[in-house]
Amino acid sequence: MRRRTAVLALGTAAAMVLTGCSTMSPGASGTVTLNMVESLTNPARTDLLKGLIADFEKQNPKIKVNLVSPPTEQADQKLQQMLQSGSGVDVLEVRDITVGPWSNNGWLYDMKKDLDGWKGWEGMTENAVKAAQDAKGRTYFVPYGFYGLSLFYRTDLIRKAGFDKPPATWPELLKQAAAIHDPAQRRYGYAFRGGANGNSNATAAIEAYLADQVDPANGFKLKNGRTIFSAPEAEAAMENYLRLFRQASPKSSVSWGYPEMVEAFSNGSTAFLLQDPEVIATVSESKSISKDQWATAPLVAGPGGKTVQPLATAGWGVAKGSKNKAEAVKLVQFLSQGEASTSFTKKNSLVPILKSATNDPFYKSGPWSSYVTMTEQPDTYLVVTQPRGVSWWAEWQQKADTEVQQLILGKTTPKKLVAGWDAYWTEKWQQEK
Amino acid sequence: MSVASTSKTKTAAQGEGGTSGRRGLPRGGRRREFTTRRGLQIAAFMAPAALFVAVFTYYPMVAGGQMAFRNWKLTDLTDTSWVGLKNFRDVFADPAWGTVLTNSAIWVVGSIVPQLVIGFALALWLRRRFRFRGLYQALIFFPWAISGFLIGILFRWMFNSEFGVVNDLLQKAGLIDEPIAWLADPKTAMVAVLIANIWYGVTFFAIMILAALQSIPDELYEAAALDGAGKARTLFQVTIPYIRTTLALTVLLRVIWIFNFPDLIFGMTGGGPNNETHIVTTWMIKITQQGDYGRASALGLLVVAALLVFAVFFLLATRERKRVTQ
Repeated sequence: MRRRTAVLALGTAAAMVLTGCSTMSPGASGTVTLNMVESLTNPARTDLLKGLIADFEKQNPKIKVNLVSPPTEQADQKLQQMLQSGSGVDVLEVRDITVGPWSNNGWLYDMKKDLDGWKGWEGMTENAVKAAQDAKGRTYFVPYGFYGLSLFYRTDLIRKAGFDKPPATWPELLKQAAAIHDPAQRRYGYAFRGGANGNSNATAAIEAYLADQVDPANGFKLKNGRTIFSAPEAEAAMENYLRLFRQASPKSSVSWGYPEMVEAFSNGSTAFLLQDPEVIATVSESKSISKDQWATAPLVAGPGGKTVQPLATAGWGVAKGSKNKAEAVKLVQFLSQGEASTSFTKKNSLVPILKSATNDPFYKSGPWSSYVTMTEQPDTYLVVTQPRGVSWWAEWQQKADTEVQQLILGKTTPKKLVAGWDAYWTEKWQQEK
Repeated sequence: MSVASTSKTKTAAQGEGGTSGRRGLPRGGRRREFTTRRGLQIAAFMAPAALFVAVFTYYPMVAGGQMAFRNWKLTDLTDTSWVGLKNFRDVFADPAWGTVLTNSAIWVVGSIVPQLVIGFALALWLRRRFRFRGLYQALIFFPWAISGFLIGILFRWMFNSEFGVVNDLLQKAGLIDEPIAWLADPKTAMVAVLIANIWYGVTFFAIMILAALQSIPDELYEAAALDGAGKARTLFQVTIPYIRTTLALTVLLRVIWIFNFPDLIFGMTGGGPNNETHIVTTWMIKITQQGDYGRASALGLLVVAALLVFAVFFLLATRERKRVTQ
């Protein structure tokens, strides 16, 4: 009896250890199971992905897809750990901020050869094709859409303040927002981003002031090779930006991140908001402002009338450690074309990757029309690659976020701020060489 | 079996082998003799648990610990060479290090003292018998079941200057004329996170102290009453001395937990504004987000060392006091 118990215990232990060490491999029937990991997870999007995967499985009966959806806050770290272990991931969500370090560590598979001659490229916008390749022409991910800024504004409030159209430039935005701002009435001009990721709108303002001078291959570099922060226009942009906080934004916006900004606009208290198109869905559901009280306008420009659209992107890639690369690439192709792609961008409120979207009534009307306007005027709304793939991007964001807060708390000046940023990027680029 | 026959059996067994077994155990007694085979059997039973702890606790600890001495940056793992104490030097050289340490001390002391006092008062109140006591207990203990990060997000909205309930209530009560920008000012932001943490942690003290209070025999209170002790004297000379061990251990645990509790600050302020509400553990998360696992790991080892030293001193101090009292 005792021996039998001991054998049972050892057997159980061995089974536990062995099952933990097993890997997904083709089954006896020849069915391949792909592990797909998403990063910018939310419940609605996960359901949408599951639907698209079901369609893919129907078309490819010998491929099964196991979708893994870690919570957004930890997703990239989880993915890093999985990639570092070298197995367990086939298809994954790659973002412009993760592609640099992950490819550098040899975790991502270059799909260039597999996608040579693929018909899907023909249906894609120029931006999408460009974003699919890194500086050396390697394809580590195929973008599924873009996040781009537009100006959400209150049509009724600007009319009441005596303006007949939304602001087209940063100085005009300051003027209109300051005219509307009245904290005593709990009415605010601009939903300022002072907290998490506050650096993004600050650099968008600087890029707008310098639009024509910016290197299209690097949004933080001028065509003369120096940083955008070295130009006098950068200081002027930050002075206007600081005035926008002091004269037209709620005091507490020092710490505002995405949720507070969107809430401020959605609850009807704030007149202007610079945000990605995904906010369209949230604002549309607002019970505080009706559909005729708000609209979107193209991203505000610099005093010269042009601006840089700091497009952010993400897409689907294949892990280098995957043992089923052919099937994984097939899934990436499926998600990046036709109905699957259109449905994904529409339901996630993303700027689409397919050319055909510009003729789609969905994008031609209402709040989406400003995105079509920007796409149709590439000489005014310049598309510039942002240096999000550099290894120090996360460090830069934290540093810049803190320093934007120092600026609006009065602990530094626009001049010192841009001088510090100029020194930082100059040094980093030199170290890179 | 009768008593007589039992003693007879025992005597017979002793007569056969005396006390020749190891460690003086009688042969044929209730304890079995320790043999190699039996040792192997015990080892086999313990193996799964030992393996589990080794793989899931000690391996990650050692693997994480060694990163502290290497150039371990997730952004570039092509060079993970040994760098000696560089990561530790980088931690100390950071200009924000002084603020982070001061904030950590404020965070621990500013949280634990009010938590202890309010938790004690709640426990004393809940010890009395009254209607719906069980319901009140459940309601008071409920916050402890909620995630710290979620509490952080909830309080972040409550302390929002324009749309938050805190300013609204203070204004309606006539206590303030203008809304306070709680999370936008470094000083008030620290006060706000402390208020949230006090609210959250009071519950744990209340649970622990209530359990200890229920173990005090009523006779002690009766004796104190007969001796003419008032409420204050009973509290300080009967209640507190009786539950001192529980109090000491709870304070020790809470200091360690609060020191290691970045969730709430992370959810509420993210360490801002201007890094002014960062404590050591939120700072560690910030470094991890940069991908610098080497420096984050060095900071982690420093935290372990600091807490170990604290735990040893605290336990020695409380033991000493106990001996003096005895």
